[in-house]
Amino acid sequence: MTDHREERPNPRSGVPTDVGGHETRDEATTLPVLPGDLHAVTGLSSRTLWGDAWRRLRRNKLAIIGLIWIVAVVLMTVSADLWVAPLFGDPLTVDTTPGASLQSPSLEHPFGTDKLGRDVFARVVYGARVSLTVGVLAVSISLAIGLMLGALSGYYGRFVDTLVMRSADVFFAFPYILFAIALIAVLGPSYRNVFIAIGILGWPSIARVFRSSILSVKENEYVDAARAMGASDFRIMFRHIMPNAIAPIIVYGTMSIGGAIITEAALSFLGMGVQPPTPSWGLMLSDAKSLMFRAPWLTIWPGFAILTTVLAFVLMGDGLRDALDVKMKE
Amino acid sequence: MLKYTVRRIFQMIPVFIGVTLILFILRAPGVLPGDPVRMITGERAIPDALREQIVKKHALDQPLHRQYVIYIGNLLQGDLGESYQRGRPVLDIFADKFPNTLRLAFAGIIVEIIIGLTAGIISAVRQYSFLDVLVTLSTSILVSVPVFWLGMLFQIFFGIKLKEWTGGAVHLPISQMSSAEFPDWAHLILPAITLASVSTAYVARIMRSQMLEAMGQDYIRTALAKGLTRRAVTFRHGLKNALIPVVTFVGIDFGVMMGGAILTETVFSWPGVGREIFLAVGQRDWPIVMGGVIIIVFLVMIINLIVDLSYALLDPRIRYGGDAE
Amino acid sequence: MSKRLRKYMALLLVFGLAFSVMGLAGCAPEEEEPPDVEEPVDEGPVEGGTFVYYITEPAYIDPLNLFESEGTQVGQAVFDSLVAFDPITSEIMPAAAESWEPNEDATVWTFNLVQGAKFHNGREVTASDFKYAWERICNPENESEIPYHLAAVLGYDEMQDGTATELEGVVAVDDYTLEVTLQYPWADFQYVVGHAALAPIPAEEVEAGDFGEMPIGNGAFKMTEPWAHDQYINVERFEDYYGDRPYIDGIEFKILADMDTAFLEFQAGNVDFTQIPTGQIQTMIDEYGESPDGYTANPGQQVLLGTELAVYYLLMNNEDEVLQDPIVRRALSLAVDRQAICTTVFEDTREPAYGIVPDGIFGFQDDAWEYSRYDVEQAKELLAEAGYPDGEGFPTITLEYNTGAGHEDILQLVQNDFQEIGVEAELAGMEWAQYLDMLTERTYQIGRLGWISSYPIMDYFLYPLFHSESEDNYAFYVNLEVDEMLEEARVTVDDDERIELYRDIERKIGDDAPMMPLMFYRHSHVASDRVMDGVYSASGLFDFNRVWLLQ
Repeated sequence: MTDHREERPNPRSGVPTDVGGHETRDEATTLPVLPGDLHAVTGLSSRTLWGDAWRRLRRNKLAIIGLIWIVAVVLMTVSADLWVAPLFGDPLTVDTTPGASLQSPSLEHPFGTDKLGRDVFARVVYGARVSLTVGVLAVSISLAIGLMLGALSGYYGRFVDTLVMRSADVFFAFPYILFAIALIAVLGPSYRNVFIAIGILGWPSIARVFRSSILSVKENEYVDAARAMGASDFRIMFRHIMPNAIAPIIVYGTMSIGGAIITEAALSFLGMGVQPPTPSWGLMLSDAKSLMFRAPWLTIWPGFAILTTVLAFVLMGDGLRDALDVKMKE
Repeated sequence: MLKYTVRRIFQMIPVFIGVTLILFILRAPGVLPGDPVRMITGERAIPDALREQIVKKHALDQPLHRQYVIYIGNLLQGDLGESYQRGRPVLDIFADKFPNTLRLAFAGIIVEIIIGLTAGIISAVRQYSFLDVLVTLSTSILVSVPVFWLGMLFQIFFGIKLKEWTGGAVHLPISQMSSAEFPDWAHLILPAITLASVSTAYVARIMRSQMLEAMGQDYIRTALAKGLTRRAVTFRHGLKNALIPVVTFVGIDFGVMMGGAILTETVFSWPGVGREIFLAVGQRDWPIVMGGVIIIVFLVMIINLIVDLSYALLDPRIRYGGDAE
Repeated sequence: MSKRLRKYMALLLVFGLAFSVMGLAGCAPEEEEPPDVEEPVDEGPVEGGTFVYYITEPAYIDPLNLFESEGTQVGQAVFDSLVAFDPITSEIMPAAAESWEPNEDATVWTFNLVQGAKFHNGREVTASDFKYAWERICNPENESEIPYHLAAVLGYDEMQDGTATELEGVVAVDDYTLEVTLQYPWADFQYVVGHAALAPIPAEEVEAGDFGEMPIGNGAFKMTEPWAHDQYINVERFEDYYGDRPYIDGIEFKILADMDTAFLEFQAGNVDFTQIPTGQIQTMIDEYGESPDGYTANPGQQVLLGTELAVYYLLMNNEDEVLQDPIVRRALSLAVDRQAICTTVFEDTREPAYGIVPDGIFGFQDDAWEYSRYDVEQAKELLAEAGYPDGEGFPTITLEYNTGAGHEDILQLVQNDFQEIGVEAELAGMEWAQYLDMLTERTYQIGRLGWISSYPIMDYFLYPLFHSESEDNYAFYVNLEVDEMLEEARVTVDDDERIELYRDIERKIGDDAPMMPLMFYRHSHVASDRVMDGVYSASGLFDFNRVWLLQ
């Protein structure tokens, strides 16, 4: 089989689905070029590329909407202490006075209150903290592991390559969400362990993407030249290969944040994630399940928050991909 | 071809070993908190005699590597062991669950094909039209929707609101068994749509890009130049060539759907394989977890292989030969 | 017809339609008012019909392992033990044994079996079938999870060790006389033998195989086909039953994934009896009416809210550095508003617990535990007395619990209550498996558990939970005086004297506040409108023998 098919990341991997970002298709994937595909993005070379990319990104309305939304969410949660609690109530304080629980949306409580009388709007806003933190930290962990292993694999090839790529196969063969659940069972369900687990499970995709980028850059003449001049492996990697292989990683990382947010919500929904009383969107939906019919607002808003935030990252990722795509320039 | 098949099968072995090893390591004492034997009686103290009996039966007193060898040995004879807690053979337990999962997966695939293909074709044929934009945006939204939330919304809307608004005249069953007033397949509608939501978006995207690509090919241009109508060319050539990758995706997705639609199963109380494994993790009933994951991984591998082979048969341009790496 | 008229007609038609649609929509909910049912009293019970009863997939239905509610429900329909309990008062009643008596010091019990009672395979039930069944449970090779029921019987330890193959203390004197010798006197042993797991077993059927899938019992109902896993378990009336003939033709135990599904099934009319998810109780009461006694369902009085023989409590680790001080434990216990938990989290489907023994157990006393009241002021005083005025210097304590079962809500309220007296607490949720480990390893601070009675006696809520040598004493409470009293009560044969003693013990333990009882469980069940005299007992067993269905 040809190598390029291995380079292609799975369309699901950016945004895990219920069925779990099951990336079984290293060999099998004769998948077509998806809009989400990255292999076409490899081989960037010029410095001015970033300027061009920004110009192109700016023209992409959807990507800009995504960006604005992400910035807005970040600003809202960062400043939440200043305005949410005074206006709507503390997201943690329980209110057991009769009539306080399960109020339908009103001016005072725009998203209603939950079973324990807490303001749902406040909890949704604070929930963004959990989601964004988990998303960013998880992807950082995936990046750290994935880039390292991908670099080893791509640069040294042979035995290391085989080992890393076979391990990646094993990770892909495992049903994704079940793997995450098993890891959480080992680590214990908590805020910290959720991003660790998601982070650990994310490395194979990153490693593959990075490895293929490296493979395509490695054969370039300037790398040979550097090597001939006696540059160390480390130096070659960071000075010459990294900068040219980074674009797909940026795109991929952005999309993965969205995926990590959904996974966190899913794990929390199953009780294997963030623990109460911490407000997390997935946890809120899990609480809402038994009250779905009686208090639909408990279901609607946290889910809507997940949807919009993840969508923002997906649109951003799409935009970045288009902006950084060499092919698009032609 | 034969050579390729054999090679593929051999390549499965390390993956398979890796998966079983990981499952074993996760379960090793000191790694996974929670004593599986203790879980059998819960907070009641477990009688010593019973503990010994169970430890002996499941070879839990053996060193881990020895247990692994025993397990693999049994596995090769088609024995997945017995549940710690229910004493039933793991194979029997999954024999009860798989039909449920299969039904749901089939229904999901049908949804994904019908909606995904239609949307993809429309989108490609009317590139840059309003519909195209709509489809593209919808696919982005669909991949961003948490499936469990979608399932809950469906239940609220189709199960309750619609029923209220129409005085009970129109609504859909929202779980596997509810309401004898519906035919059996109706119970599948909402879970299937939920399960298929993300895949549908992918099918639509793949279909669109494939058709656009195919339409740009020389032979299509030739066909057009020969005076065939655009519609004829679209459907005779574009569609045919675009379908192969879609079929590939769907084939793989089928395996994936069987693998673990835990969230959909949870929301719709569907007694499927994924949920069984999930619950078993919580119960530390590791024989069920091991058995379930192994069956799934095995099925997915087989399906991948079949898909690849059929792809090679369908598309003569693909040759699986020696190593190109 | 003029053009104009036609226009008006059309308008009228539209309005008419609109109104009738609105009318229909408006009417729809009203039809669901409590059904007006003709008083069926004069009719009397009639035979016939299949009762559809919701269960989740049982772990086992073989008496060998009847320990969880679902399997026990099936087991009690198929099997009869020596004695039974009145479903409402929990009073002891004859079943497979028509009479029984202890010797003077309650160490030897003689049970006289009903003559002519038959197994579903037609063979007569004899005393040796009980001996066989009990030894089957005690033999470790059979992997029964519940041999402890028989721990008092002479020869139990030897069987568990594997040094004996039969229970020395169980003797079939003749076909109809079973004599049981105990290792120590135990006046409440008669209640123990009422457990569904201690029913007689026909050895020949076990040897024939597949007993676990299709047990053959001596109860009022027999299985007609093997257990269809994840689907149903069907039983029908056993025509040769020795007791009163049941009215219903049979029971379909419909196996559903969870309560939510079952509830939907109920609303669709496919299930006759189910639990109501929290959040729906009031709606259901409005729609179906509440049963006056809380246990008996009749049309228009279909929602059952009777107290169950079960208690939910917060464990305090009596070995913990801070919590070993009884004054601290009292203060914390006083700080918790139990009523608020029952109301906010459970819609009053639980009852605040001011003692450890639930109502419905003979000997129940109101407000048995002094420090289970809600009294913030006294809590603060006690906390100061213990050396932590306003909670100053009190270390942050951890509330541990198992996730995924709704305990979070309860503990968040407790956390808030503690804050009121200046005690900071943090929640630590973990999986059940991990949680159990922590309980056994004695590393928790404050945890939670529930305790459901296997036999309706006070002893069951006191001895296992508070005797210092009991393995179920997870509070690690040690009070040698209490130990002594518990042992004394067990050998007190006189019923009144024994009960008095248990009451003293309960209050005495309460004084040390070794744990915090929070709530007693209550039913939250509903029966369909064709169920007549459907009694769901305080122990959570449905009385299939007496229920009948409107045809």
